Amino acid sequence: MLSEKIMVSDENPKPIRIKFRKVGMLRFISHLDLQRTFSKVIVRSGIPAWYTKGFNPHAKLVFALPLSVGTQSETEFLDIRLREDMSCEEVKKRLNSVLTDELSVTDVYVPESKFQDIGYAKYEMNIVTDGASEELAEKIRQLFAAKPIMMLKRTKSGEKEIDIAPLIHSISVSYDKESDSIRISAVLSAVSDNYLSPEMLVNKMKDELGILSHDIMRENYTIFRTEVYLPDGETKFR
Amino acid sequence: MSENYRERLDNILRAVQKPGRYCGGEYGQTLKDKEKVKARFAFCFPDSYEIGMSNLGIRILYGVLNREDDIWCERAYAPWPDMEEMMIKYNVPLTAQESGDPIADFDIIGFTLQYEMCYTNVLNMIKLAGLPIYAKDRTDDMPIIIGGGPCSYNAEPIADFFDCFSIGEGEEALVEFTKLYIKMKEDGTYTRKAFLHEAAKTVGGIYVPSLYDVTYKEDGTIKAYTPVYDDIPSKITKRIMPDMDKSYFPDKLVMPYIETVQDRIMLEVYRGCIRGCRFCQAGIVYRPVREKTPEVLCRQAKCLYESTGYDEISLSSLSISDYTQIEKLTTDLLEWTDEKNVSLSLPSLRADSFTKELMDKIATVRSSSLTFAPEAGTQRLRDVINKNVFEDDLKRAVNVAFDAGKTQVKLYFMNGLPTETSEDLEGIANLAKTVVEEYYKNPNRRKGKSPQVTISVACFVPKPFTPFQWEPQDTMDMLEEKNEYIRDCVTDRKVRYTHHDPRTSHIEAVLARGDRRLGKALEIALNEGFRFDAWEEYFDYDKWISVIEKAGLDPAFYANRRRGDDEIFPWDIIDCGVTKEFLMRERNNAYAGKTTPNCREKCSACGANKLGGERSCCPKK
Repeated sequence: MLSEKIMVSDENPKPIRIKFRKVGMLRFISHLDLQRTFSKVIVRSGIPAWYTKGFNPHAKLVFALPLSVGTQSETEFLDIRLREDMSCEEVKKRLNSVLTDELSVTDVYVPESKFQDIGYAKYEMNIVTDGASEELAEKIRQLFAAKPIMMLKRTKSGEKEIDIAPLIHSISVSYDKESDSIRISAVLSAVSDNYLSPEMLVNKMKDELGILSHDIMRENYTIFRTEVYLPDGETKFR
Repeated sequence: MSENYRERLDNILRAVQKPGRYCGGEYGQTLKDKEKVKARFAFCFPDSYEIGMSNLGIRILYGVLNREDDIWCERAYAPWPDMEEMMIKYNVPLTAQESGDPIADFDIIGFTLQYEMCYTNVLNMIKLAGLPIYAKDRTDDMPIIIGGGPCSYNAEPIADFFDCFSIGEGEEALVEFTKLYIKMKEDGTYTRKAFLHEAAKTVGGIYVPSLYDVTYKEDGTIKAYTPVYDDIPSKITKRIMPDMDKSYFPDKLVMPYIETVQDRIMLEVYRGCIRGCRFCQAGIVYRPVREKTPEVLCRQAKCLYESTGYDEISLSSLSISDYTQIEKLTTDLLEWTDEKNVSLSLPSLRADSFTKELMDKIATVRSSSLTFAPEAGTQRLRDVINKNVFEDDLKRAVNVAFDAGKTQVKLYFMNGLPTETSEDLEGIANLAKTVVEEYYKNPNRRKGKSPQVTISVACFVPKPFTPFQWEPQDTMDMLEEKNEYIRDCVTDRKVRYTHHDPRTSHIEAVLARGDRRLGKALEIALNEGFRFDAWEEYFDYDKWISVIEKAGLDPAFYANRRRGDDEIFPWDIIDCGVTKEFLMRERNNAYAGKTTPNCREKCSACGANKLGGERSCCPKK
């Protein structure tokens, strides 16, 4: 590996990427609140973050792929810049010393690609619903194997009908007998204009197959974002 | 029996509006091993999470209690009605934020009582915890429920629901109280009754209402408070922390993820107030004034900045510009805050001590508006209430603001003050108009912008432990008429007029000077589903009047009656340091339109100096 020769300074800040997890009860914290939280986290960690110049200077934080409320993730990314050099190991250590388990840093490194290079994200879903069975799993497989898969998507300019089939890179569905639940592993488009939220799949299943429609205490589901890929759908984004 | 409800909560949270209120997991919270602690304390705030997390008192007491190895203090807030509905539907009791355990399984439940309109939330939280609301119905294996905060100076309307109250500053009292609990549990002498008796006897500032019998005269006023034991005090003296430099102040905070009302560092600069405005309860019950030194304050501020990452420090105290070392404090703070992009803010400003120097130092860049509280429209009435602010002070202060390019000024007033006439109400509109005129006279004003002066008028609510504690509140009709009168007086289009709802103020007045018999009304209110009464959308005046009447009581008896000079008040059981004689003297001065100098100019012998206190301005006792 090449050592960095360029001096890091306020004029020449060093970009770093913070990979973090947001799990457990913190899935209920919105993206906006997460942004506000991180601006305080950066300060209390004491890492030499680069500040914007101007009227109201603040640490510049750029997040990849906002996570919807309710979804957990092992692979979130935040880019910041440093005005003084500090090893990635040290940055990680300092951040974790002012974070909690449910929101913690898993890796810090110099970015190898841009957020615009993100192509797909992988999600693991676990659905506990009345009627979970091998048959239901098969119905779900067929539901998402169809072409097209039309759904209403809410956009800034109102609702519009879109075909989500091309946005699904791959999907595998199984029935887990032991936990009596449906397990879905899906790689979905995460390109900014064509972002497919895993909640859309849940909604489709609710609408078409009537799952999760009885009792919220008995029926529930979890979604984990577990990986983010480049446009080939295989190479891990870094 | 202690089932953990986290998983059930999980499922509910998907279906409520703001799950961030209930999910916990905040950085800075205290987690302990529940098997290893000897007492679990649930600190409850009877309003929403956003308001509760903003309370400085809880921030302090949470730290004080958790500093003790054998005590674990957790937090609980009033669930919003949508959450409450889910909790009831799915059988989830009120749980603590940290552990997710039901607070009914705790040793002690503490409520901070910040305003009267939260009483129904208190009862609702006890009910949601699954406990009987009346203290007498709770058994030895149920938690002790203790109250504190401003309303505990007259907590009689809720006295029957509480085991006890901590009167005054709780930093030491709550720890002593909890340690006594632990001791009695350990040596096997604990019963609810024995513990409360012992606490009343040995822990200063602990008021156990069940140990005082109340009798009433035929006219409904109080005849006597009689202690049921000989060895408990006949009056409960409030506790204070004598030396604020040495008093505990948190070095870290629980950091909310969602935005709260006071989402910033609150630096408590001093306790008490030198002013003695005659309507103000805080100005009396927090006496004597006790200052911290700038050195200690700077250290505390820096420490909190580093541990929280907040970019704003609010200097909180009753009248911050009266701090003797405000100049040094702000200069010292700015030495490092500027460079770190941390801004300073002040919650309240007095027109007579507002200077350009001060304004330049505080974070006003982001807001274009400044707020002052003349409280009354004429000098005569300002003298009656001892506000000691003159029209010239206000003119000078707004010009400082206009010089700096501000265009908006907010002015706070009250209506319904004792001795008020229509002239005083006209004065409110006139004062606002004067401020508008000052703007146009100011050569440095922001060109091309017109000013906006907002007048906000609250209804006067007579409070215990004030010189106006004997006064009747204006009737609802009068208050409404006065609000309309002021509206008619406001002719300038640059002046915006808003006023409080007299209906809320009326109920507040009933509860503020209420007695124990009102507990019945609150019980009925709970059964009729009252809660979040401090929120306009949930407050229902007609229903409030009806529950008070159903309890066989007359709202006017509490709110609109002029009390006799020798009447025994429900709050006479409490000694807040300031004597009733002083308050009476002050009331007579009010009638005579005579002002009283502030504590720094001259001691008026209020009595609070008997409590001691370092860096106060009181003569030593």
